[in-house]
Amino acid sequence: MSFGDYLLFIVGAILVNNILLAKFLGNCPFLGVSRRMDTATGMSMAVIFVMTMAGMTTWVVQYFLLVPLEIEYLQTIAFILVIAALVQLVEIVMQKTMPALYRALGIFLPLITTNCAVLGVAIINISSEYDFFDTLIFSFASALGYSLALVLFAGIRERYVLARIPKVFEGTAIGLVTAGFLALAFSGFAGLVGH
Amino acid sequence: MALMKDFTKGFWDLLPPFRLVLGLCPTLAVTTSAENGYGMGLATTFVLVGSNLLISLLRKVIPSKVRIAAFIVIIASFVVVVELLMQAYVFGLYQSLGIFIPLIVVNCIILGRAEAFAAKNGPLPSIMDGLGIGLGFTLSLFTLGAIREILGAGTLTLVAKAGLAFNIMGEGYEPFTFMVRAPGAFVCLGCLLAVINYVSVKLDERKRRAQS
Amino acid sequence: MREILKLAVVLTVICAASGFLLALVHGFTKAPIEYAVLKNVKEPAIKAVLTGFDNDPVKDLVKIPMGKDKKGKAIDLKVFPAKKAGKTFAVAFETSANGYHGPIGVMIGIDADKKDISGISIVSHSETPGLGARIVQANFTDSFKGKSLEKELTKEDIDALSGATLSTNGVVAAVNQARELFDKYRDQMLQ
Repeated sequence: MSFGDYLLFIVGAILVNNILLAKFLGNCPFLGVSRRMDTATGMSMAVIFVMTMAGMTTWVVQYFLLVPLEIEYLQTIAFILVIAALVQLVEIVMQKTMPALYRALGIFLPLITTNCAVLGVAIINISSEYDFFDTLIFSFASALGYSLALVLFAGIRERYVLARIPKVFEGTAIGLVTAGFLALAFSGFAGLVGH
Repeated sequence: MALMKDFTKGFWDLLPPFRLVLGLCPTLAVTTSAENGYGMGLATTFVLVGSNLLISLLRKVIPSKVRIAAFIVIIASFVVVVELLMQAYVFGLYQSLGIFIPLIVVNCIILGRAEAFAAKNGPLPSIMDGLGIGLGFTLSLFTLGAIREILGAGTLTLVAKAGLAFNIMGEGYEPFTFMVRAPGAFVCLGCLLAVINYVSVKLDERKRRAQS
Repeated sequence: MREILKLAVVLTVICAASGFLLALVHGFTKAPIEYAVLKNVKEPAIKAVLTGFDNDPVKDLVKIPMGKDKKGKAIDLKVFPAKKAGKTFAVAFETSANGYHGPIGVMIGIDADKKDISGISIVSHSETPGLGARIVQANFTDSFKGKSLEKELTKEDIDALSGATLSTNGVVAAVNQARELFDKYRDQMLQ
């Protein structure tokens, strides 16, 4: 693919097919950590890091282990174990070599194991039959899209804390409705890449 | 009876995803039709009951340090079983639910119940817990799926293969497609959650007045 | 040390049990899954090329071994029989030949007694939209219906597409390939 094609590919992954707002991946932590900017950015960094690495590692596991041994039906269990192990490994390594970043990420790092966006993107990489380089780009771009949605959402939520919300909507309910309108805004990108 | 309570709490007290705020990803993604909704609910219930039972049986044997890893292997195994069974016997539903079937493995409800209940209780209560919460989840998914489908497409699909699909709104209905798309999912779930919150508040008020 | 050993043993046992259970389930779902995939993916094409049957062509699938591919895996030709009262009167299977831009997959139905084409359906292609891609249109594929396969089919026997010679030739080549396979494996196909 040419540079222009890659640019379209990346924009597509970030805006048009935003894994959170268009594909519904990663909603649980989304509604949990997006109340404040600092937690949102913390989670974003962790997601970008883990998703990119997980995308690459699961690709290798698929094509060098599952396919040659003809056990593709074990994909789900192999991938989730790889992701869980990866997150553990990253935690240990980061604690020793980059303690400042480790403290900044806090509890978000172990929480990512159950983030369906990471496993979701890993599966999409394989089902879309991307090669290794495309997998790397797609994982990274998807993570950027997720972070973008997260940070935008946190910005909005910090603002409406000051607004008057009907009592029954307080908390998650108004969060969901707001996310809906954010998703509506993003769906305006649909014609952008001309898929 | 305590066992009955373990079962019924899944239908109100711990109703996912409204009162037990977990499992949002599949809720938003698969509720484009009533059938997809309850299909996913039943698949999740199968995994939940299976993993709750096995984890409960092994709870004294699994060392605490590796319990999360062990739970994940057990849950993932049941998910692969459900994947294979659905692919073999309900292929249409398997295709509609797509990527969200393997994603059952990271459904926080399952790991949540494993940690909070199955790891600390006997097998029979664990089965009831899994069954109650799973079926409660199925009910929520079915309701949300039905609402979104009726408003968004004018139909109600119960079993597509058996032709059990009804054109509820009639021929002249202009579908409110917002409902079956991504933004509609968020808004619909949010509003439904608000309704449940309202009912919760009213029930609590009535209980307090009855006690005083 | 003993604690680590216990951790490792417990995890290994759980993984092994899981592996065993999954291999078991995979074993007995393999056939139903293959059937479900074929039925959902191929049935529309089969129904387009075969008519008047009272059986389930996907269920009565006949696999004819055709040797091995580069990696040593066995290749089978999947033949879908159309039966009436238990007797096969027509078969459908896929062949592929090169068109303009790449291989064209054709599902072809052959009437066993009359040895003619009961219908063709383009299953896959990567031809140019508006030009070669017109091979999927009914006026092209319908012109194959009823054409005899006693001799090799040529472009003149059907309604060739103007401006899409290579695509048309590709489809014709695929049909002739099917004719060869039918001659070679006729008895096995009609069992």
